[in-house]
Amino acid sequence: MFPFIAKRTATLVAAVLVSSFAVFLIPYFTPGDPVRTIIRSRVSGNIIDDADVQALSLSLGLQDPLIVQYFSWLGRIATGDMGLSHVSRTPVADQVLPALAVTLSLVAAALALAVLVSLPLGIVAGLRHGKPADRVITSVTQSFIAMPEYWVAPLLVLVFALKLSVLPSAGWSGPESMVLPALTLALRPISYFTSAVRAGMIDAAAAEHVPAARARGLSVPQAVLRHVIPNGLVPLSTLVAVWFAGLLGGSVIVEVIFAVPGMGRLLFDAVVNSDIPLAQGGVVLVVALAVLVTTLADFVHRALTPAVEGSYA
Amino acid sequence: MKPLLDITDLTVRNLRPAADGSAPTSLIHGLSLSVNAGEFVALVGGSGSGKTLTALSAVRLLPPPLAITAGTVRLGSVDVTTAAETELNAVRGGEAGMLFQQPKRVFNPNRTIGAHLLEPLRVHRRLRGAAARTAAVDLLREVGFADAPKGFRSYPHQLSGGMAQRAMTAIALAGQPRLLLADEPTSALDKVLERQVLQLLDRERRDRGLGILYITHNIASVAPFADRVLVMDSGAIVEEGPTASVIAAPTTAYTRELLAASQLAPESGRRPQPVPREVLTLTDANKRFGRGRRAHTALDNVSLNLQRGEILGVLGQSGSGKSTLARAIVGLEKVDSGSITRHPDTAGKTPPATAVQLVFQEPHGSFDPRMTLRASMEAPLRRRRDLTPADRTRRITEAMADVELDECLLDRHPGQCSGGQLQRATIARALLLDPTILICDEATSALDALTQRTVLNLLLRLQREHSLSLLVISHDMDVIRYMCDRVAVLLDGKVIEVAETQAFFAGPSHEHSRALVDAAIPCRWDHLRTLMPGASRT
Repeated sequence: MFPFIAKRTATLVAAVLVSSFAVFLIPYFTPGDPVRTIIRSRVSGNIIDDADVQALSLSLGLQDPLIVQYFSWLGRIATGDMGLSHVSRTPVADQVLPALAVTLSLVAAALALAVLVSLPLGIVAGLRHGKPADRVITSVTQSFIAMPEYWVAPLLVLVFALKLSVLPSAGWSGPESMVLPALTLALRPISYFTSAVRAGMIDAAAAEHVPAARARGLSVPQAVLRHVIPNGLVPLSTLVAVWFAGLLGGSVIVEVIFAVPGMGRLLFDAVVNSDIPLAQGGVVLVVALAVLVTTLADFVHRALTPAVEGSYA
Repeated sequence: MKPLLDITDLTVRNLRPAADGSAPTSLIHGLSLSVNAGEFVALVGGSGSGKTLTALSAVRLLPPPLAITAGTVRLGSVDVTTAAETELNAVRGGEAGMLFQQPKRVFNPNRTIGAHLLEPLRVHRRLRGAAARTAAVDLLREVGFADAPKGFRSYPHQLSGGMAQRAMTAIALAGQPRLLLADEPTSALDKVLERQVLQLLDRERRDRGLGILYITHNIASVAPFADRVLVMDSGAIVEEGPTASVIAAPTTAYTRELLAASQLAPESGRRPQPVPREVLTLTDANKRFGRGRRAHTALDNVSLNLQRGEILGVLGQSGSGKSTLARAIVGLEKVDSGSITRHPDTAGKTPPATAVQLVFQEPHGSFDPRMTLRASMEAPLRRRRDLTPADRTRRITEAMADVELDECLLDRHPGQCSGGQLQRATIARALLLDPTILICDEATSALDALTQRTVLNLLLRLQREHSLSLLVISHDMDVIRYMCDRVAVLLDGKVIEVAETQAFFAGPSHEHSRALVDAAIPCRWDHLRTLMPGASRT
């Protein structure tokens, strides 16, 4: 186990370094001169003085070698100093951290909902493989894949906020405001999780050790509870982590539609406004968190399936 | 005395109607057998004869849509055919323990051996907590775990095939059954381990008065242990009687065939002597896996040579480095030091790497399940620029004819072919690249005795016709003896002995070789000869 943890931790660090370097390079590949953008955002007129550009470049340290700039930038981010937003002139950290907290709770709620729904559905569908229950569950959950968020969200708002008036249509002001965004966000994971659990169950039930367990005297429910369901759920652990990582940055549409002050919307605005420090700080944070979560999921997966050991050692 | 297991007129049918609407097929028709306490009964037959279905019927665990449609099965005092599920759960593992063919696949890979053992202890003996744990560790010790507490904590993948077999035996015995249903439990093991397992079962039979129904395709391996032999073919018992009389005077052709397949006796003067010209030389080849404390030496200064037209056997137990040797020779594994040289032919041309081909052990594992056989076989030929599609088709057709396979199999997927057919297709695929050296890594170990025999004969014919040099890697003494001119013995990655086959079996010089030969021979040929003096080496 130890060499595995060391190896995966090293991979984690490498992934964060590589991705953060890419993020760091973003301004060099974006059209337009960010220095001029900054100045333009602060002055009312359209005429920009070249001397101002020079002075700002110098104060931002843009004359240093790239690698020096990168490490000083990374060092500042690591210590929580993500610089000032070009637009609002407030510390990036003050904007990013609350937004991250909002998105984390939204994504966690959505995935918890998805797991709660897809576990029983997937288990039933897998164990009743090919039977009517399986067909109904599979076709309904699979249809969720084809429902884009920008279509589901207005529909939910129409029904629950406008017709029934039981839930707020937008905003972020308490648990009930979380319901519709989380539901919208959960639909696609529900269909993927359900089909993963279902496939896991089918595989686990077909394993030769199941009849062997029956031959030891275990009843069908005992064999299913001890040897089919736990084995069939293993793939879900990885899948949940991947979706968690994906939704951290992928909840943009839902956040914009429901006016949720989360990470997705923050990054969206940052990009639209060419607010590079904000975008960089946000992306680095999301990427680091995503890599961390998937690595943790690897450890969990590894603990659940001891036989995988050989392939890493 | 009432028998432990009493099966009368058992009929098993497939309840799903056939595609053409005809009546469901009967897989076992009117089978009767009984096993008494303390009796070792061998149920022998080729693949597909219904042996396994018979064992599963005894505890009513037939996979649907198969079902018992007639007859009675009595296990102790329980009528299995009419009993309720709860009653059957008490019988399964409690009255009759079961051993399976693939010991490794019997375990849930995510749970420890101990967790598996605790299940029957709780279900059948109501043991929990520390008492259950103690009982489990005692069982592991009884079946031969030197460090039983460690065995208890181990995961299935950490056990060798032999130890997994022992752990499976411990689980089967945990519910203190009076009957053991053993479904080819040793066919995946080498002969040394097979003999150890049989001895263990035999000891349990004597100590506990355990009745054993032992299913096998290899009549000779159980002959020293079985009181009675039942021969099964196409769902019915075709011959039965005391072991000695069935072996000495078989009354049906099928039994004679099975016996012949178990005796892979060497043919004398069947091949021209190999021309003394080396085609392959290994010099001081070394290979280690892993580093530091966990390092494992797979090849330890291996020096070997292979002559043109020669069949060299490599003998060794599981883990002795046989497969690494094969993989190193074909270049799938790089040696750490030493050399592996292909020698130029008489025209002075060094043969390409493709001149060495490998036939793997697991025929189903060596084909992509999603590709037809034709696609799989065509893939390596596509690299040859000089061949047109028509050439490729012609070569594949020829190769199929060469291995005596019907051309129509080419458009099937591996799942639609039998193990024997696939192993022939593997050989055909190897032949497509015009090899001069063919390495057979346990190429027939996964096949039943009858199919094994035909594949070995095919290899011998191909070797003659294509003047191939064969490297036959096996743990099976009889295969080596049947096929090879010379034998090399591997132990922990070292070549400990190289000798002419005749001389080797007459008197192996190394202590380990003697152990290998001693373990195997009584199981098969020589034992048979003592039982049936009239047997000739055909």
